[in-house]
Amino acid sequence: MWKFLTPMAAFLLLVVMFAFGLNPKRDIKALPSPLIGKPAPLFNLTDVLDPAKPVSNGALQGQIYVLNVWGTWCFACREEQETLLKIADSRVVPIVGLDYNDDRAKAQRWLQQLGNPYSAVGFDPDERTAIEWGVYGAPETFLVDAHGQIIYKFISPMTLDVWQKEFLPRIEAARRNGA
Amino acid sequence: MRCDRRRFVGHRAASAFAFAAIFSVANFGVASFGLAMFGAAHAAAAPADAALGLDEHGQIENPALQARFEDITKQLRCLVCQNESIADSNVQLASDLRRQVREMLLAGQSDQAIFDFMTARYGEFVRFNTPLEAKTLWIWASPAILLALGGAVVLRITRARSRMPLDDEPTPGST
Repeated sequence: MWKFLTPMAAFLLLVVMFAFGLNPKRDIKALPSPLIGKPAPLFNLTDVLDPAKPVSNGALQGQIYVLNVWGTWCFACREEQETLLKIADSRVVPIVGLDYNDDRAKAQRWLQQLGNPYSAVGFDPDERTAIEWGVYGAPETFLVDAHGQIIYKFISPMTLDVWQKEFLPRIEAARRNGA
Repeated sequence: MRCDRRRFVGHRAASAFAFAAIFSVANFGVASFGLAMFGAAHAAAAPADAALGLDEHGQIENPALQARFEDITKQLRCLVCQNESIADSNVQLASDLRRQVREMLLAGQSDQAIFDFMTARYGEFVRFNTPLEAKTLWIWASPAILLALGGAVVLRITRARSRMPLDDEPTPGST
């Protein structure tokens, strides 16, 4: 009996591991953020469109917002720009931009050409704010609740599907709970 | 599809992928242990920054601090390339994190404070050396467990074999 069961169990264990390991939907480079459930790091930057205008997420305390991390050097950010514009048009929550490691003039041209989905864009040329947020590439999109806590992070270009399946239910849940 | 300011070369990405794929298929979480064992141990490439406390080669003037800088940056994973340390990688993120380590060292912070800073932002994965804690105990114990399992199998086989008659020995009653 065991002569049959032991190899069978070992084989089934391998099947489970291969199913997990070879799952094409699993992005092996996407890492869970330790910041989920933690307070969003505060930043005080200037607006990419106007160096004299301050941009801080401290002013957003008490409301749910999305922080989208991008840069003009990021080809995948161009891909998600159209989606971000649609999301901004739906006026569910404001999208704050974080433009890091970038050139101000290039970023301004980008927003003129592709459209501007952001309520404000913090300009982070030396990546210090990006490090505080644990950013390790672009695009990355965070969801922050009204208590100022990060409740979700999405790593990859934003799609409407992800917005509807991952972001909207969390926004609704946060609103129901008064967060 | 993701971006870093300076994109790394293709073969490196491919090898990193193959490496990660083999490891994740073969052994889930043990991969992090395996990678910790394989953690690159090359000399740190000193970035040239004209900042306070640095000499003309971009090294920290205080040799003890420079030694700690090289040691720490070898133990931190570049999250863009994932199999390279921030000491070895030349992508933007690695250079930003090297700057962060250097600044924290010059500000008199401890190694532990620097590792805690990185872990709080990037997660446990940023460290090549998995710390020995209650939740990582099984990772550290896994080589011993695998060795014990393998040993048990070998023992069973050799014992079973030792009870078998040798081929060239005449079996009792055959002659």
